[in-house]
Amino acid sequence: MTTEAKDIRWGMVIDLDRCTGCGACVTACQAENNIALTDQQGFAQGRNLQWLRIERYWEGEFPHVRARFLPMLCQHCDDAPCEPVCPVYASYHTAEGLNGQVYNRCVGTRYCANNCPYAVRVFNFTDPSWPEPLEQQLSPDITVRSRGVMEKCSFCIQRIRRGKEEAKLENRGLRDGEVQPACAQTCPPGAISFGNLDDPNSRVARMARSPRRFRLFEDLGTEPSVIYLKGGGHEHPG
Amino acid sequence: MKRRSFLQLSGMSLATSMLAGCRKGNEKLLPFLVPPDDGISPGTANYYASTCRQCPAGCGILVRVSEGRAKKIEGNPRHPLNQGKLCARGQAMLQELYHPDRIKQPLARSGPRGSGEYTPISWDAALQQLAEDLAPYRQSSSAGMALLTAPLRGSMATLTQDFLRHFPGATHLAWEPLHPEWLAEGMLGELGSPDYDIENTQYLLSFGADFLESHLSPVRYGQGFGQFRQARPTIRGRFSYIGPRLSMTAASADRWLPAKSGSEWALALGIARRLLQTNRQDPAAMQAAGLSAAEIANLVAAFDEAKVAEITGVNLADIRTTIDEAVSISPALAIVGEMVAWQSNAPAAIAAVELLNVMLGNLNKAGGIYYSPTSSAQLSSGYGDLQRLIGQMEQGQLQLALVYGSNPVYSLPPSSQFQQAFAKVPRIVSFASFLDDTSRQADLILPGHSNLESWGDIIPPAGVRSEVIGLMQPVVKPLHDTLAFPDLLLAAAKALGGELAQELPQNSYLEYLETDLTKRIPALSTGDSRQQLDRLLQQGGWFGPESEPARLGRLMPAKLPDEAEFAGAAEQFPLQLQIYPSINYYDGRSSHLPWLQQLPDPMSTAVWGSWLEINPQTAAQLGIAQGELVEVSSAAGSIQLPAVLYPGLRPEVVACPLGQGHSGGGRYAEGRGTNPLQLLAQLENLPQPRLNLGATRVRIKPLAQAGALATSGHPEGSYRRELLGL
Repeated sequence: MTTEAKDIRWGMVIDLDRCTGCGACVTACQAENNIALTDQQGFAQGRNLQWLRIERYWEGEFPHVRARFLPMLCQHCDDAPCEPVCPVYASYHTAEGLNGQVYNRCVGTRYCANNCPYAVRVFNFTDPSWPEPLEQQLSPDITVRSRGVMEKCSFCIQRIRRGKEEAKLENRGLRDGEVQPACAQTCPPGAISFGNLDDPNSRVARMARSPRRFRLFEDLGTEPSVIYLKGGGHEHPG
Repeated sequence: MKRRSFLQLSGMSLATSMLAGCRKGNEKLLPFLVPPDDGISPGTANYYASTCRQCPAGCGILVRVSEGRAKKIEGNPRHPLNQGKLCARGQAMLQELYHPDRIKQPLARSGPRGSGEYTPISWDAALQQLAEDLAPYRQSSSAGMALLTAPLRGSMATLTQDFLRHFPGATHLAWEPLHPEWLAEGMLGELGSPDYDIENTQYLLSFGADFLESHLSPVRYGQGFGQFRQARPTIRGRFSYIGPRLSMTAASADRWLPAKSGSEWALALGIARRLLQTNRQDPAAMQAAGLSAAEIANLVAAFDEAKVAEITGVNLADIRTTIDEAVSISPALAIVGEMVAWQSNAPAAIAAVELLNVMLGNLNKAGGIYYSPTSSAQLSSGYGDLQRLIGQMEQGQLQLALVYGSNPVYSLPPSSQFQQAFAKVPRIVSFASFLDDTSRQADLILPGHSNLESWGDIIPPAGVRSEVIGLMQPVVKPLHDTLAFPDLLLAAAKALGGELAQELPQNSYLEYLETDLTKRIPALSTGDSRQQLDRLLQQGGWFGPESEPARLGRLMPAKLPDEAEFAGAAEQFPLQLQIYPSINYYDGRSSHLPWLQQLPDPMSTAVWGSWLEINPQTAAQLGIAQGELVEVSSAAGSIQLPAVLYPGLRPEVVACPLGQGHSGGGRYAEGRGTNPLQLLAQLENLPQPRLNLGATRVRIKPLAQAGALATSGHPEGSYRRELLGL
């Protein structure tokens, strides 16, 4: 199935029944997107810069206790609360349904992070540093964000661009599953799928029709593009 | 100087010229996907295949290289083990290459031992010193020399064997703390390496096997687990975990049975009893194994549900449901793992689970376990061999220790006496890439390449059903003035001359590897072997046809495990300590990589440190709050750790991850957290000596001050679960 760029609405489906909480996606995201390191003090101050995190929830008490994992990243809302509050249009909505972030427009008001119900926007309180020769690992496809700039998950927009360019060279549309963000590519149990929600036959569109589907804070009306599938097996009282 | 040594050393000029051969880069590097014009175009990345070395599993990787620099590591989709997937540790291997604290040239010690004061020397001088050190042990049967490595497989095993054959008195200790030597000692161990067919089973029972984190091949099994849950249209696999701690793997289970440490085996016997009662066992498999149903029925007769509940300390209803499920859902698969193996009663406890698998007819069957033998050489030593070596060092019999790819000063508890015995060795040569705990003690350091700069062949120890030889190739030019250990062995052979040089005539490890691979890979002996090898390097290795599954021979009759023993008196030390491998650092080898230090632990969400997990009830009794510093003491020692209140733990058990508390390893690892092995006390009179990471008793005391605990987000999670609709 091939598609034209104008028919695209990018979306992600995360199957919580597959997710094991291992964190491979977190490191993949950090490696792909030149995310700066955060030291112990930074974590203590809540200044972690990772775009993707795994929330862990305890449920119940010993011995009937269990833990649940929830990968949390920018939900790329259709009605994104972060977008209208930006005074300089640094956070904006793309035609393909992404919440874009223009780093060189950002003046660091942090209104967008305040307004994000998912707390997935991170702010560079300091200039990032990579002791030599660690800077050689930085990907040439992505800028390094400087102090005073807000950043967040971009659904690996550089991979989307690359995929489109390659498709264009071959004079065809994008194939379903051709573009994969770093997190989806590495996830060992295959919990993360990415694709075009507007194509009814794409893998994500089919999965998004699952009876297990739900979205985070649906009642806020943010219309997220990330769809979760519930984990099964609720045997113990929660 | 003896005339003989003089002659040997005069061969050094030869060796000097040969170093140039070792330093040759990768002349022909074929990208995974051949680009149209096969050249470097700025802004375009190429992918090169290699193999991961962050744990023994040996996943295939693709390295994204842009303008001559490695940028990212991804899974190799053609490798049959991990099929394009990769864990966090594997991806962080990139930082090992570009780590700011790598050893950049050979070093000779200039200050006192352990001070970290070294003088850079040239490779010629370094190699001359190595040859001088080795010369006295050649053709000599004196037991003065030892080589300490991790377990070796494939060409590294044959090369060290070929080399050490000329040092008849030398000891080769191939040991690492998490090597599953216990697996080989089990009933089914001789069948080869197991591959659990998780994706095709319907009921999975893990007996303390954390197969999504550290057990054998976590990426392979993680992938299988995803399919087990949701890849079949009408079947969702069900999973129960039995063990004292709710690990990340147990958190993915439908039911956690919090059994007492070392009591998990009782459930296996309870299921075996019900299988026989309901006549659901596989008689053919039992007959093949020489097991008589009547004898086993007799053995397990006492293990009704009440008895199992009593032994394990799990409530009766959960035990009953689990047994019901295990006998009625087919195929059902049992996996036995480290939390069972690290107890005093391990051999019999492991055998109990293996017996269950035989009775369920699980061998070489879809949804069961496939065992396939490998034809590649393997070298590994047991903990008993290690203890003998420690004895030799203690008595001053060892004059020279060579250490490669292993960090025993960190990974052995002080109660093993290794550290003080090692200090008595007059000459220590290390081949490490970092000034880690062990190489800090070395007199001479000959730094090795990082994994992305090395050649090699990696044979996965588990998780594949065919012969797989993963290949490593240098994807970038060496960043520093380093040399690979196997190249140094060949250079030393040249320098020492004589028969040794004749038997190892190869000019570089690549030549040796090619010769060795030709013996094992049939495709290489036909046609243009170099071209064939290039093709294998391009795809990441040799993936052979499915092997003939190993056949089960007669099994030893099972016997009942004893009650688990713990080191230390129960009155003095009321709690039991469970040390578990960290998903971020494995056995501690990855703690120098900042991406892993800042990757939140999946269960505690802690970063950049270590901690002690305590059940909230126990913590309340002792007046301990989250993040508070506690003193943990055992018969062997005492350490301080911040407390993490951990609901998924039996009240009498406390747990601590392995991997932090290094005295070296660079800026990100050194002095960070605490090494829990300091607490490990040795159990006496074990039939098989082993590093039992779950068999020490401890007591804890609150210190009424805050510990250095940083977590990612709130300990309870950022939001209330019910708001999210989870």
